[in-house]
Amino acid sequence: MTQDTSRLRLGVLGMVVLSLFCALLARLWYLQVLASPTFKVEAQHNSVAVVYTEAPRGRILDRNGKVLADNRVVLALVADREQIAKKPEVLDRLSWLLGTPIPVLQERMADERYSLFKPVPVALDVPKDKLIYVREHQGDFPGVEGVQLTERWYPNGSIAAHVLGSVGEVNDQELGPRKALGYKAGDSIGKSGVELTYETELRGDPEIAKLEVDSLGRVQRSLGNQPAVQGDDIRLSIDLDIQRLAEESLAQGIDLARKSTDFLTGKRFLASGGSVVVTDPRDGSVLAMASNPTYDPNEFTNGISVRRFSELNDPAGHYPLNNRAIQGLYAPASTFKLATSVAAMRHGLISARDTYNDQGSYTVVGERSQTFSNARGARNGLVDVTKALTVSSDVFYYWLGERFWDNRGKLGPSAVQDVARSLGMGEYTNVDLPFESNGRIDEPASRERLHKENPAVFPYPEWYTGYNLNVAVGQGDTQITPLQLANSYATFANGGTVFAPRLGDAVLDRSGNLLRDIEAKVLRRTELPASILQPLMAGFRGVVSDPSGTAYGAFAGFPLAQFPVAGKTGTAEVLGKFDTSLFTAYAPADAPRYVIAVVMEEAGLGASAAAPVARRVLEGIAVKEGVSAAAPGAVNRILDGKD
Amino acid sequence: MQSLRNPASPWRHLDLTLLVSTVSISLMGVLMVYSATRQKQQTAGLDPAFFLKRQAIYLVVGLVIMAVASLVDYRHIRDYVPFIYGGAVLALLLVISPLGASRRGTQAWFQLGPFQFQPSEMAKIALILALAAVLAGARGHLETGGLLTALGISFVPMALIYVQPDLGTNMVFVAVVIAVVLVAGARPRHIAVLTLLGITAIAMVVELGMMQDYQRDRLTAFLDPQTDSQRSSYNLRQSQIAIAAGGVAGRGLFQGTQTNLSFVPEQHTDFIFTAVGEELGFIGALALLGLFGVVVWRIWRAAVLARDQFGRLVCVGVLAMLVFQIFENVGMTMGITPITGIPLPFMSYGGSAMMAAFAGIGLVLNVHMRRFS
Repeated sequence: MTQDTSRLRLGVLGMVVLSLFCALLARLWYLQVLASPTFKVEAQHNSVAVVYTEAPRGRILDRNGKVLADNRVVLALVADREQIAKKPEVLDRLSWLLGTPIPVLQERMADERYSLFKPVPVALDVPKDKLIYVREHQGDFPGVEGVQLTERWYPNGSIAAHVLGSVGEVNDQELGPRKALGYKAGDSIGKSGVELTYETELRGDPEIAKLEVDSLGRVQRSLGNQPAVQGDDIRLSIDLDIQRLAEESLAQGIDLARKSTDFLTGKRFLASGGSVVVTDPRDGSVLAMASNPTYDPNEFTNGISVRRFSELNDPAGHYPLNNRAIQGLYAPASTFKLATSVAAMRHGLISARDTYNDQGSYTVVGERSQTFSNARGARNGLVDVTKALTVSSDVFYYWLGERFWDNRGKLGPSAVQDVARSLGMGEYTNVDLPFESNGRIDEPASRERLHKENPAVFPYPEWYTGYNLNVAVGQGDTQITPLQLANSYATFANGGTVFAPRLGDAVLDRSGNLLRDIEAKVLRRTELPASILQPLMAGFRGVVSDPSGTAYGAFAGFPLAQFPVAGKTGTAEVLGKFDTSLFTAYAPADAPRYVIAVVMEEAGLGASAAAPVARRVLEGIAVKEGVSAAAPGAVNRILDGKD
Repeated sequence: MQSLRNPASPWRHLDLTLLVSTVSISLMGVLMVYSATRQKQQTAGLDPAFFLKRQAIYLVVGLVIMAVASLVDYRHIRDYVPFIYGGAVLALLLVISPLGASRRGTQAWFQLGPFQFQPSEMAKIALILALAAVLAGARGHLETGGLLTALGISFVPMALIYVQPDLGTNMVFVAVVIAVVLVAGARPRHIAVLTLLGITAIAMVVELGMMQDYQRDRLTAFLDPQTDSQRSSYNLRQSQIAIAAGGVAGRGLFQGTQTNLSFVPEQHTDFIFTAVGEELGFIGALALLGLFGVVVWRIWRAAVLARDQFGRLVCVGVLAMLVFQIFENVGMTMGITPITGIPLPFMSYGGSAMMAAFAGIGLVLNVHMRRFS
C-alpha cells in the first residue's frame, strides 16, 4: 500500500517531467526548424554592417575632350568615432592644430551622413605640413588619420557653370524614388545642369564593404569588399573655346552697355544680365551656352554656406544661378518677323515681290483706332519682305498683322502663332537640361486662358486687331527663351528640321572608349520651300551686309566675304524697363554650321548691344575655322587660352 | 576489491548510464563555455582559454564531490543531515553579512581568492537531505504536523536567500519542496493549500513591490516581447535569434555569429544553451536534451528502485532540482519561461552550481547502488 501510493506519486511526477521536456522540444522544433529562416536573416542583420563609399563621378568633357568637370584629390583628416569618444582631449589638440573651434569639430564628429563604421572627415583641404605633424605625433592623435578624399572639381571655374550644374547632398525628396537604385542618405547627386541630366551615367557604383561587427558595434573583420566603379564620362557638344568666347564677349557687352546711355531716358542702361547660345543647325548640338551673371560651381562642392547662397539669391545680384538661356523669358521683338514672314508667304498673303509703302506709321481703323509706328519713325518707302527684314520695317509687318486678322475666317485666329511654334518658339525645346521654361506665344486663345487662370494679372480676355499687329512684330505677351530663339533660326537655317538642342554628345568609359553615342533628336519637320527660304535669307544677309541693314554697323570690318553671316536684330520694349536687346544670326550664310542668339536684358537696341556681342563671337569662330586671319586682340587672346 | 564478488556489493550496481550521461553533458558544457567566451576574450586581449580552463577545473572538483557523495553510505549521511543543514544556514547567514561579496545588487558569494563560492547552491542539496530526512518517517501518509515541519525547514534558507536577493534559486527550492512533499505522501488537501499559498506568495511578491524592478521586468518580459526598450526583452530576442539561427544542422562549432560577437548577454553562464542551439543546431540541442532526459530517467528510476523512503526522497529532490533548472533555463532561452538567473546544470559556467549538481548525482548514485545492501 505504501509502496503503491509512492509509486503512483512517482508516476505522476514522471508524467509532469515528461510533459515539461515535451514543451521544450516543441519550442525547440518551432525555433530551429519552422521559424529558422526568418531568424537567420535577423542574425545576419545583427552581425553584418555594410559600409558604402561613393565612387568618384565620371568626368564631363567638351567636344574635344577638354575637361570641364573632374574629381580632385583633397587631403583630409579623418577621425575614428570610438577612439575620439574614449579620448575627447584629442579634439582639443585638433582644434589647436587646425584652428577650428571645438564645437565645430564635435558637430562634424556627430555628422550622421557618415557611417558609424568608418572614420569621419573632420577637416578637408588640410595643408600637408599639418598632416605630417599628425603623423609624427600619432601618439597624441589616436584614431586620427590623414587620407586623400576626392571631390568634384570644375577646373575652369565659372566657365559653363549653368551648363554643368552642380553636385550636392541628396535630399529626402530626391532620395525617395532613388532608394531602389542604391542611393543612401548623404550621397551626392547632380542638382542641376548636365550633372543632373546625366546623373545615371556620371554616378558610379559605390564601394561596398561588408564588415562583421559585434554587439557593441566594434568591427571584428572584413567579410569582403566590392570595389568602387567610377562613373562614366560624358562628352558634351560644348566647345570650350567657343563657350569661353561667348561668356567673355557677353560679359564685355554687358559691361559696355552699363557704360552707355539710353537716348530716350538719358540714363545708363541697367544691363542686368543676358545670354548667348551657339548651336549647330545641322544636328541641334549646342556649342556654347552662356548666361550672365554667373557663379563658380566649385563653391557648391562641399555644401555652400548659407550666407553665400543667400548672396547668390539676392535680387540685387540679378540671380546668377538662373540659366537665362533656357529660363530667361523675353519678347522676341523683330526676331519674330521670321515667323510672320514664313506664315504670310506660306498662306499666300504675299509673294516675294509684293511691296508695301512704309511711311513710318500704320493706323488701324475700327472700334479702337490706333496708330503704330516704326522705331524712331523711320520711313522706308516701298518695301518687299526681303527689304522689310533688312531694314526692320515694322509697318510692313503691321500691315501683315492686320491682314492675318482680316483673314482669320480662312486662316484661323492663330496662323502666325502656329508657324512660330512649328519653328520652335514658345514651346519646350527638349534640350537635355533640367528646369527649362516653355514661354508662350501671344494669341486669342492664350489671352482667354490666362485670364481664366488669373484674372487679377490678366484682366482682359478680349483680343483686338491691334494685338495682332503686336504679334507680327514679336511684341505683346509673346515670351521665348534665348535657346528657343536660336533653335527657331536653326530650323530656318537647316531648311525646316526642328532638332531638340543637345548638350550630351557621347558616353565614354574611363579610357575614353565610346560606350554610347547620344543621338541627335529630330522633333519634327516644317515645310520651308525655296520660294520662302530665298527671299528671307536675302533679307537676313542684308541685315548684316547691306548698308541699310540694321546690323551693318555692328559688322563693319567683319570678314563677310570669307565667312558670310545672316542675322536679325530685335529690340523689345518692356514696360518700366530698358529695352531688351536681341540679335540672332547664322553662318556661313550659304551653308550654315553655326547659329547664334544673343539676348541682353535692359541693354538697349539689338543693333547696339546684342549684335556686337554676336559679332565678337562669330569673329572668334571665323578665326577658329581658319577663314579669318588675325582678328582683334581680345578674340585671339581668348582662343589661345592665354588669359 | 573482494566486494565486487559480492552480489550485494554497491560497486556492482553503480549506474554507469547516469554517470556517463552526466559526464558527457559536462564535457559538452566545457566546450560550449569555451566557444561562448573565446572571441570576446581574444578581442579584449585576454587568454581565450581562460573560461575553458576554469570550467575544466570545476568539472574535476565536481567529479571529486560526486565521488565523495556516493562513497559514504547515504544512511550514514542521514545522521549528519542536521549538521549539513545547519552549516548551510550558517553559510547563508554569513553571505549576507559583510563577509559576503556583492555583484549587481545581489549579495550571494564568498570571494575565495580567484574563485567565488555561492552557498545557496549547496543549500539546495542541504535542503533536499533535510526534507528527505524529515519526511521519510511519514511512510506515505503525511500528517499536517510533518508538512508544517517540512515547510518550516524550507522557510529558513528561502528567507535568507530572499534577502540576498536571488529569486531564481528560491524558485528551485519551491519546486524541490513541492516534489518531495508530493512523493512523501501529501494529501490532495495539502497540495491544494500549498498551491494556493504559492500563488498568493507570488502575487504578493510581484504586486506589493517586494521585488526589484529588474526582477519584475525579467519575469514579465517573456509575456510581452514587443517592449523592445527593455534590456530583458533585448536579451530574450537575441537569445531566440541565436537558437533559431542554428537551424537543423547548426552553424558549426565556433561559427555562430550571435555567439562569437557577444549578441547574447551572459552567454557562458545562464544562456549557454543558446551557444548549443546556434552552433550545433537542432541536432545538437536535441542530443543535449536527450542526455538530460537520460539523466532524469535514471534518477527517476533510482527513486523507484530505492530501498528506503529517505533514499527515494533524496532522489526525488535531486530530480526536482535538476528538472526545474533545465526546464526553466532552456525555456527562458527560447522565450517560454521567465528570465531568471538559474544556471543550466552541468553546462553553465560556474563552480558552485557544478558542485551542487554533481553532489546531487553522487547522492543518487549512492542510493541506487546501495539498493540491495
